[in-house]
Amino acid sequence: MGVNNMTYIPTIGIEVHVELNTQNKAFSPTINKYGDAANTLVNEIDLGLPGTLPTLNKEMIDFGIKAAMALNCKINQKMYFERKNYFYPDNSKNFQITQGKTPIGYDGYITVEVDNQLVKVEIERIHLEEDTAKSIHEQDKTYLDFNRAGVPLIEIVTKPMITNSEIAIKYLEKLKEILLYLGVSDVKMEEGSMRCDANISVSKNDKLGIKTEVKNIGSIKNVGLAIDYEIERQINLLNNNEVLVEETRRFNDSNNQTIRMRIKETGNDYRYFPEPDIPYVNISDEWLSEIKATLPMLPDDIRLELANKQVNNNNIEALIGDIDALYFYLAIKNRIINPVSAINLIITDLKAYSNNLNKKIINLLQLEDFIEIANDLANKVYSKQMVKRLLEEIIINKLDITDAKAMVNQKESFNIEEIVVNILNNNFEAINDYKAGKDRALKYLMGQVMKETKGVADAVEVQKVMLDKLSKL
Amino acid sequence: MTNYLTLSIEEINKLLINQKIKPIDLVNEAFEKIEKSDLNAFITLNKEEAVKLAKELENQPVDNLFFGIPIAIKDNIVTKGLLTTAASKMLADFNPPYDATVIKKIKEAKMIIIGKTNMDEFAMGSTGETSYYGPTLNPYNKSKIPGGSSSGSAVAVSANLVPLAIGSDTGGSVRQPSALTGIVGMKPTYGRVSRYGLIAFASSLDQIGPMTKTVTENAQLLNLISGKDTKDLNSINTNDDFTKKIGCDIKGMKIAIPDFYMGDVTAPVIKEKILEIIEFLKNNGVVVESVKIPFIEHSIHLYQVIALGEASSNLARFDGIRYGYLSDNYNDLNGLYENTRSEGFGDEVKRRIMIGSYILSSENADKYYYRALKIRNLIKKSFENIFNNYDLIIGPTTTDVAYDLGLFQNDTIKGFYDDIFVTPVNLAGLPALSLPVGKSLDNLPIGLQIISKAMDEVTIYQLASYIEQNFNGGK
Repeated sequence: MGVNNMTYIPTIGIEVHVELNTQNKAFSPTINKYGDAANTLVNEIDLGLPGTLPTLNKEMIDFGIKAAMALNCKINQKMYFERKNYFYPDNSKNFQITQGKTPIGYDGYITVEVDNQLVKVEIERIHLEEDTAKSIHEQDKTYLDFNRAGVPLIEIVTKPMITNSEIAIKYLEKLKEILLYLGVSDVKMEEGSMRCDANISVSKNDKLGIKTEVKNIGSIKNVGLAIDYEIERQINLLNNNEVLVEETRRFNDSNNQTIRMRIKETGNDYRYFPEPDIPYVNISDEWLSEIKATLPMLPDDIRLELANKQVNNNNIEALIGDIDALYFYLAIKNRIINPVSAINLIITDLKAYSNNLNKKIINLLQLEDFIEIANDLANKVYSKQMVKRLLEEIIINKLDITDAKAMVNQKESFNIEEIVVNILNNNFEAINDYKAGKDRALKYLMGQVMKETKGVADAVEVQKVMLDKLSKL
Repeated sequence: MTNYLTLSIEEINKLLINQKIKPIDLVNEAFEKIEKSDLNAFITLNKEEAVKLAKELENQPVDNLFFGIPIAIKDNIVTKGLLTTAASKMLADFNPPYDATVIKKIKEAKMIIIGKTNMDEFAMGSTGETSYYGPTLNPYNKSKIPGGSSSGSAVAVSANLVPLAIGSDTGGSVRQPSALTGIVGMKPTYGRVSRYGLIAFASSLDQIGPMTKTVTENAQLLNLISGKDTKDLNSINTNDDFTKKIGCDIKGMKIAIPDFYMGDVTAPVIKEKILEIIEFLKNNGVVVESVKIPFIEHSIHLYQVIALGEASSNLARFDGIRYGYLSDNYNDLNGLYENTRSEGFGDEVKRRIMIGSYILSSENADKYYYRALKIRNLIKKSFENIFNNYDLIIGPTTTDVAYDLGLFQNDTIKGFYDDIFVTPVNLAGLPALSLPVGKSLDNLPIGLQIISKAMDEVTIYQLASYIEQNFNGGK
């Protein structure tokens, strides 16, 4: 960075488009799904055929309300849609149905932690709109896939108040996490279900400088790099007494630089007006309470709750970092005695089975069975080793819990003392080694016992019995 | 040639039930008449399909009033597998893959679609002359306009080419041609009839309506085509029987006649006819009083701002990329848009798109569009106030009888002023019907407009039917 950087203050605003994973499209009953063959999820409305009218997907509004609530926004309970008019081949009606004057949510925030300090990132607005078709450019031809046309989006716009790339990154990570946990989007940047634009300017005083917009940055990390590059580029230009122009740029991830796409044209006029084909939407207080009741716990609430339950930080993050594991935990959390050991089982044992069997955790075994096993472990009815055996019998050998317990109990019903005596009687050599002070000998003897019990015996108990017998020899 | 199509629907229905005639007789008669006619009422005929369907119906029971009855459809309502052009070069080869909701209802009733009727291009005009397929002629005098934009639908019914037709009315496009061709045309309450499949001109004003020879048939056809549709969010749920007050006495009814409708713009021949009607009504126990309706004098201007603003957006989709006319003269994307739209649209449509785009521009939207929406609400309230004291409003449908073709072909403003009495109703979302009440000395029809509060079509039909049956100045 240049020497005069300190005198310039960067101002960054971030716009995020997120595709909602509703069952149907925003304004037509077509199924909303990613990855199907091109132009198979399309009806006459999606193609903007003459005579078609939009329908209105209530689930989209539900998801919008959820997101607005989770981002601490106020909600426009009387809202309407508007048309944004512009010509482009991916825009089938040559207008996009969006929200202008009445975004579903406004004046919200997310709190992020940067250098052990809490920073409030303010959200100006969150509004509902429809996605365009996807353009696929090949040589001199452009192909259009209308499967994406009409997929519901929310656009989330921060106030221009972010001051560095680190806050921007933390904001995006937190936003992504929240939306994922709400279940409103899969927020996959690589599939385009989350897309980021950053507006960046620098100034020496309160008046905002000339901004550039870096469009469609492909990953959160690259947002950070793009911001850093832009700040430095703009400051260098200003220091050389050059004049900045308002422009749209894109990020090139092969050299971590931004490149001009186009200078912002004046008179780019979208001729917004209220969409006459969709009546005003009145979001009643009852509607809001219904949605509020379905809101899942958000990551920060979960962090706090688990920390209060003495779960260590690594395990908390392991759980929160794996939505599958977290949903499983949330489903059982009110009925388990010891969250520490239960979470341990989920993020180690269940996760391993889930990976190996390529199955969701929730589909590995009955919730009831897991709760019983976790509580048996907490109540010391079964040892950790026995619990592992139980899980194996249920998940791999498909026994029901009664049969699994019977199986493990049978294997546990041997008399450890008897086995230890038996092993000692057959291993005089090892006893001699032990008495000669060779540690390996004890390990060997223990191993023989464990082998005999097929690993089910409680190692601590075996050692205790073993040492007792050896001392008496 | 047979002459069944001049009979009432109920009479035809009886003949079908008693197997005196078959649907094919009606179909054959319609096509014979159309082929002999030189009125240019149709853009596309559905002959092959119509004959096929008529034959199929021969083996089926006559299960409803409209069974086997021929009908004509305005060419801005999409019909699956049947060209739908909106009378534009832009859609000259557009073959819709789906049916409009009204078409579904018509097909479910086993009506037979005879063809798609001529109209002003994209319903923009009130003479029929902006059609890419040439003007439609008035059956009363072929040198006169038939009115528009539902020109062909009006003419097809007026000339007995078909017994019934469907039109659309954004600023009088059902009522004005109905008046000028001497038929009954209804613009129902906004939302009564689903707009799904109606090629949009101005979404907040457009409404599909029935065009018929008699009041009763009009009410019966509205019964068939109206109703809530999940595909049109502005459609409303009703199960009125629109014929239910037909035949009831009108004694004691209170009717308002706005002074605006009887001012200097109204031709003497029209005024005299309206005064005769007022006299007739008073003699039949009706209270008729002159009223002032604030703001309706602004309707023409409001209409232009709102209709053209919406139209500029609605017609943006015609770019030749997915369907319709595509210029073969372009080098880049802008060239594609410019040339396709310059070549595909007619002059009137282009004028209206340009004005509409200007009105909605960020510089002008507040000044024109949003202000117009506010005054529109005031007009709505003005009407509501009148209906607090009166059952109905009456007045002329048009300022004059049909004028010569070509006279004002390039005078856009004249076209809008033709609609001065019909557009207030669209702005307020109200129902209104044009009823033929007589003719001028040179044998040109005159229409009476009857307006009610929202959702009160039954009372319109009650009065219209009474006048139709009892007023002697009529046909």
